[in-house]
Amino acid sequence: MSAKVGTPPKHRGPRVDMWTVVIFAGFAIVVVFLIYPLFDIFRYSFLDKVTGSFSLSNWKTFFSKAYYLRAFWHSILIALLTTFFSMVLGIPLAFFTTRYRIRGTNLLNTLAVLALLSPTFIGAYSWITMLGRNGFLRLLFQSIGINLPPIYGAFGIVLADSLQYYPFVSLMTAGALMTIDRSLEEASENLGARSLKTFFSVTLPMVMPSVTGGALIVFMMSLSNFGTPMIIGGNYLVLPTLAYNLFTSEISQTPGMASTVSIILMLCASVVIVLQQWVSSRRKYASMLVNRPIVKQLKGIKSFLAHLLCYSIVFFSTLPLAVIVFYSFRKTSGPVFQPGFSLDSYRQIFFDVPKTVTNSFLYSLTAVLLIATVGTLLGFVIARKRNAAVRVLDPLLMIPYMVPGTVLGIGFIVAFNKPPLILSGTATIIILTYFIRRLPYSVRSAASILKQIDPALEEAGINLGSPPGCTFRTVTLPLMQGGIISGAIMSWVTSINELSASILLYVGKTMTMPIKIYLSVADGYFGTATAMSTILLVVTGVSMFIVNKYFNRGSEVFVSA
Amino acid sequence: MAFIQIVDLEKYFGEVRALSGINLEIEKGEFFTLLGPSGCGKTTLLRTIAGFYRQDKGDVYIDGELINNVPAYQRNTGMVFQNYAVFPHMTVFDNVAYGLRVRKLSKEEILRKVSAALKSVHLEGYEQRTPDKLSGGQQQRVSLARAMVIQPRVLLFDEPLSNLDAKLRIEMREEIRTVQKSLGITSIYVTHDQEEALVISDRIAVMNQGVIQQIGKPWEIYVNPQSTFVAYFVGKINMLTMRLGESAGQGLRRATSGNFSLFVPAEGTEQLHEAIVAFRPEDVAEAVRHDGQNTLSGTLKSVSFMGSVARFELDVEGQEITIDRYRPREADMPQRGASMSFEIPAPSMLLFDPNTGVRIGKGAQR
Repeated sequence: MSAKVGTPPKHRGPRVDMWTVVIFAGFAIVVVFLIYPLFDIFRYSFLDKVTGSFSLSNWKTFFSKAYYLRAFWHSILIALLTTFFSMVLGIPLAFFTTRYRIRGTNLLNTLAVLALLSPTFIGAYSWITMLGRNGFLRLLFQSIGINLPPIYGAFGIVLADSLQYYPFVSLMTAGALMTIDRSLEEASENLGARSLKTFFSVTLPMVMPSVTGGALIVFMMSLSNFGTPMIIGGNYLVLPTLAYNLFTSEISQTPGMASTVSIILMLCASVVIVLQQWVSSRRKYASMLVNRPIVKQLKGIKSFLAHLLCYSIVFFSTLPLAVIVFYSFRKTSGPVFQPGFSLDSYRQIFFDVPKTVTNSFLYSLTAVLLIATVGTLLGFVIARKRNAAVRVLDPLLMIPYMVPGTVLGIGFIVAFNKPPLILSGTATIIILTYFIRRLPYSVRSAASILKQIDPALEEAGINLGSPPGCTFRTVTLPLMQGGIISGAIMSWVTSINELSASILLYVGKTMTMPIKIYLSVADGYFGTATAMSTILLVVTGVSMFIVNKYFNRGSEVFVSA
Repeated sequence: MAFIQIVDLEKYFGEVRALSGINLEIEKGEFFTLLGPSGCGKTTLLRTIAGFYRQDKGDVYIDGELINNVPAYQRNTGMVFQNYAVFPHMTVFDNVAYGLRVRKLSKEEILRKVSAALKSVHLEGYEQRTPDKLSGGQQQRVSLARAMVIQPRVLLFDEPLSNLDAKLRIEMREEIRTVQKSLGITSIYVTHDQEEALVISDRIAVMNQGVIQQIGKPWEIYVNPQSTFVAYFVGKINMLTMRLGESAGQGLRRATSGNFSLFVPAEGTEQLHEAIVAFRPEDVAEAVRHDGQNTLSGTLKSVSFMGSVARFELDVEGQEITIDRYRPREADMPQRGASMSFEIPAPSMLLFDPNTGVRIGKGAQR
């Protein structure tokens, strides 16, 4: 131990390390791809359509014409109803699967999450094939003399949305129910309360923060959902579809009304996000898990009814997916389904529009690499380098949470079809949309993984002579790996299923699968639509499987990530 | 100039002053300990030396070099962390080799140095183990080997033993001391455990509220504390606030508290009417007679049997006084409520100014 050990090379002068560059890049991303487009929308909403000068005419129009105001109330109503029904479905499912022995709970959770993660427009479209004008279920019911209400409009949207989004409530509630200290419920029973009384006076209040948290996510998702109301809404306009329609009809002029509607939609979303932050910041009754709740075994008819309830809920949410897969293997001739089975629809995709499939994969993959890299670096900065600049950057990076896809799409078009940065019609703009929409999730998840890694490990690396960048590469990154990859897979799923922003931004050569599905449905080419939807479902399912299998993450990760 | 020199160091966290007026000189090869309660600033000072914190004022020199602007990774200080900070994704070998690889040493040299380091902490044969297969003590040995293998200018210990159980703690502190002496690496050691500090250190700095209270050899800190804080924090001590009376000759002065009085050293008390009179339980002698000078009687309130010592808590005229009896025997143990007499030798007393807590007079004789 007497030989001289070399010291690392010295450098003096201002300390610009790697993280300074990352923080700067974070600000650049926020300014160029969020503030600039959003400010452009804001600006357009105050420009007169004809003269192009400052005016309040768009805002006056919005608040004076029933056509616009109605869409606002529709949005609120749909979101409220969807939230209500998600709770009606989600809370009992959570309670029964966590407190009673229900066979196949894992399968139920997996199917529910698959339905949750699948593109919204697939579910909506499937309900049309079942309950649309010539839907097979409608015809079936008609043959026994029952006339179902028309699926187009509010009924269809709420039906499709509730059956897709209830897992937000059920998984978050289940998570809370599993971590309640058993002794609290036992104390209640010991003090003489019956089980029903205990449920309403002890159990439910304890899990309420989680229920509310899940419900607010549902409200938010439903409010900003574009695919479902677009496909199943018919003339029943909500804010995202109104903005889309206005934008596509204003294409030759300044998009004043579309911008105004976008701002209003964003304001609604912001209110919900603020509420959600408030709810999640309030105290959660997590316990030390000394006494996990008992899972009771039900007997006889009670057990049967509990199983029936749980399986029915999951069955109806998975049914649309099964129908789509089933139809994708039906024989087709042009737009019409024929009796018998074949791979016609798949063949058609690979002969007619292979570019659409490769586009989807290529764009999502590129976006995911960007998201994972940038998200991890920014997550690190937020978790570990809390200086004044980072404290400003942190909330800015969360802006995409409150920007519905439709709004971001409109913002990107108006901002990037003119100098200094022209991106319209390129693949880059679509990849950037995926990137921006997913970035806050990725940053948040990287930051939360880092919170579980002892900072002393990084200090040890630095102390042993390794510069910050090198320490990050050799110590931090290897420890974050699992979390980063499972987060990246989640980003992959949401990117490849993205419709609401990309539908505004695509041109012929940059078409992706979700867009093609939407267009095929609109044109009546159901074969192509079902086959492509099946491909997306398989991609989603396989990704979920990988996360579950190789990263030991439970179903909750899909809700939180 | 001393090997490590810290001049007028000051550090704030927001509005909170974590360190102020820190001046230290540490000699080459010295084992220097920062001792104090949690929140006293000892870890902050250590981390400032390591470069994890930037001081707001003052200078740090190592080996004559001003290192204020040297980033942490170029300071060449080997740190042993409280929770070990052993890289969980690397084997024992890779952990210890980490700093050598950063320094781009040759494979052979790394192998030689790592083997030597592991040998000196008794971990030969553990090279390919992963940290999750190691006990806390073994992990701390890895941490120590990893810090010293880079031959740092100074070894920094941040409460390295606080997560270990009592027996292992004593074993490890002896080992750290042995390794440090055999390598001759200057070391700064942070702990809140006063016994550990006394055993392991060449010198100790006792800290409280961001200020160094006293610097000295373990002996000086214990026998000759310069403030009530140091006296109270290091070892057990009795403290009585007493009124000072007339001189009693022979360098003594009468002091009273309630219904009892003592003769205490007069040196330096001329201006005072009150003083805190302090004495350690082991300096008190149990007395057979009740009328000796400085002999008091009290009622036994509780007994703590600690093996080599029995510690008695007595009530003396409403004051609580602790005295120790060595080599206690069960047959001789007094019962609760028994009356006990004891004598406090005046030379063992330490006097403090009750307003400032500062020592009065020179040294206790021991």
